[in-house]
Amino acid sequence: MALLHIAEPGQSPLPHQVKRAIGIDLGTTNSLVATVRGGRPIVLPDESGEVMLPSVVNYTNAGAPLVGLRALALAAQHPADTLMSVKRFMGRGSKDASNDARRSHYRLAEGEEGLVRFVTSSGELSPVEVSADILRVLRQRALATLGGEVDGAVITVPAYFDEAQRQATKDAATLAGLRVLRLMNEPTAAAVAYGLDNAEKGVIAVYDLGGGTFDISILRLHKGVFEVLATGGDTALGGDDLDASLADWVLQQCGAPALVAGQYRQLQAAARAAKERLSDELAVDIDLTGVLPSGGSIHVTRETFERLILPLVKRTLRSCRRCLRDAQLQTGIDNIVMVGGSTRVPLVREAVADFFQCLPLIDIDPDQVVALGAAIQADMLVGNRPEGDLLLLDVIPLSLGIETMGGLVEKIVPRNTTIPVSRAQEFTTYKDGQTALALHIVQGEREMVSDCRSLAHFELRGIPPMVAGAARIRVTFQVDADGLLNVAAREEITGSQSSITVKPSFGLSDDQITSMLQASFSHAAEDKLARQLAEQRLAAWQLLEGLKSALATDGDALLSAGEREEIVAQMTALQALLEGVDADAIRRQTERLGRQSEAFATRRMDRSIRDALAGVSLDALDDKVSQ
Amino acid sequence: MSLADFQSNYFQLFDLPVDFAVDLAQLGARYRQLQKELHPDRYAGASAHEQRLAVQYSALINEAYTTLRKPLSRVLYLLELSGMTSKDIAEQHIDGGFLIMQMELREKLESMEGLIDPETVLEHLVTEISEDIMALQKQFSRAYAAGEMSAAASACVKMQYLDKLLQEAEQIESRLIDR
Repeated sequence: MALLHIAEPGQSPLPHQVKRAIGIDLGTTNSLVATVRGGRPIVLPDESGEVMLPSVVNYTNAGAPLVGLRALALAAQHPADTLMSVKRFMGRGSKDASNDARRSHYRLAEGEEGLVRFVTSSGELSPVEVSADILRVLRQRALATLGGEVDGAVITVPAYFDEAQRQATKDAATLAGLRVLRLMNEPTAAAVAYGLDNAEKGVIAVYDLGGGTFDISILRLHKGVFEVLATGGDTALGGDDLDASLADWVLQQCGAPALVAGQYRQLQAAARAAKERLSDELAVDIDLTGVLPSGGSIHVTRETFERLILPLVKRTLRSCRRCLRDAQLQTGIDNIVMVGGSTRVPLVREAVADFFQCLPLIDIDPDQVVALGAAIQADMLVGNRPEGDLLLLDVIPLSLGIETMGGLVEKIVPRNTTIPVSRAQEFTTYKDGQTALALHIVQGEREMVSDCRSLAHFELRGIPPMVAGAARIRVTFQVDADGLLNVAAREEITGSQSSITVKPSFGLSDDQITSMLQASFSHAAEDKLARQLAEQRLAAWQLLEGLKSALATDGDALLSAGEREEIVAQMTALQALLEGVDADAIRRQTERLGRQSEAFATRRMDRSIRDALAGVSLDALDDKVSQ
Repeated sequence: MSLADFQSNYFQLFDLPVDFAVDLAQLGARYRQLQKELHPDRYAGASAHEQRLAVQYSALINEAYTTLRKPLSRVLYLLELSGMTSKDIAEQHIDGGFLIMQMELREKLESMEGLIDPETVLEHLVTEISEDIMALQKQFSRAYAAGEMSAAASACVKMQYLDKLLQEAEQIESRLIDR
């Protein structure tokens, strides 16, 4: 049989080689990008050797925004144009966000669906657009260092991020032109970074005090499989709050003078620097020249600082206690991983060690550990680790439910359920002749709808009129491996169907993303058509590559000669189109080939299952012996 | 083996006998093995169709694992496999003695938050409920093995009552933590 020739050497859109995969830690205060080189994860520096990119964007000039240190330098001068800690606003409505905004001196406007927008000299911007500007810089950095376009990225999010916050993060990455392989929870990423070197079995707690969020996760590691047992945290508590408590104390000591916008920021920066120095010194002087109207300096001891932050540290330990209980461990914690710059504060380390009765691991830089773990996962997902020695089983952080009579929540997927998960629930009509059913999907732990986060309103129409209680409406909730929700509803008697990906309440619709993408492409002076062609070619190439290797391994066993010929014919047709520049034709043929090969894909999956079931006995035996 | 076979019997999926007693080490090992093969992460570069299938299979494995791991869901699943509907189970006759004991436990729980040392009292109460649940599991196991399905279902309903009490105790505990 003739071998299918997919591409001449040098003609293929991507040469057959190790793919360029990156992990990005999109942080509240700083962002980083990492990759795996020679089997080891490394963070990528910019041209001046800086690894951390301050998550700050300045929009004073209508042209290209400034990102990082250059933006930070303008923060005091142009506070409303210099957006910092934007992560706190991701996927949030303007109502929830106004408190944070007051402290940051932003001007907010309400966008569509109650989404928050910042008002700057360059116009109104959403947190998604600002985050995309940060991600674009990291993507450029990776592109320059790795010598070519990035094949895929893993973006980290706080484990405690809800649906809307996750969707907003994914939207930002798409907007920045990144192919998102997976959204990964930050604590899980940190555990992976450590897990490669450390014990191959055991229970790991990850204490992640980021700039703006606190996460705690408990995982079990077992021969390369990381199983998250429970996760918890506080999306409104972070290292910034430690700085703020010191800044507020300084203000109070100085007779609470009135400050203008930029001054509070400077004071916070001074407090942050003092916090960092107090990790090594017992007392420091904070220079207030140019920070406060009075100028001068103020003496702070470590003891005072610890007294100020103790309530915040205790708050994190409460989340730890709840998470430990949720994990239902029979044994103790074997390792604690510390994440985030603020875990360098001695009081934090002592409190955590004391609480878990175990010394924290600190050999990987707590500022880099998340990006490093994300790079390992990206490397695996893109296919650079064919041995497949690593698997993450993560959980959903907050319960998903629907509104029932009287504004109560009925939980469909409880928190800490392993994802992906699919749950179905049956509903019926309560009035004679009712033809539509409204569903309100919420996320949160409380009993009342009004205390939970509203995710989406969703309507199933076209129910045939019947007497009350006769219709059977089956609603399926599916949460994928990114933690994103998809809801489908079906009336069982007539088969009437409806389905949505939960976006409408918060986040952006696909149309919005597309139009923003187009705007940003023209803004970046990129040729939209060339871009589309490149994307279609990549998609086609991936499908062809996948099928080629699938045919080589399973073609003989799983396909009849006729079926195989059909697929090969479609592949050849697609291959021919790749020589040309008709993006639309490539897309159509890619879709046709995708449909043509669906049955083959299904058979391959079924075979994998049989193999999995057959191969398991030895492993199980091995397991018993080692216990 | 296909999706439909998969759904038909969770025990078969994990190569376990259909019984209340489950070898948790084997269950866990097989669970990890199955996920290593079928998790969507294994199909990140595959076609959209394969990715969708992987999500479905992986979700089903999670569901099966969760069902068999916890005693209460395992008991409900065993009854379902033996042909009982949730309505059949709910209609089981429960003896008055159990209902009275259950109400007393509930009253204790509800008066908890006014006490001087609620943590200790709560801990005792949780231990008491957990021991009762263990006893009911034994009852279920015996009745199920002997084919006395009505007695098995009745033990199951009692377990459901007590499980609900445990959940309420947890909520109280979490409120105590937040105080």
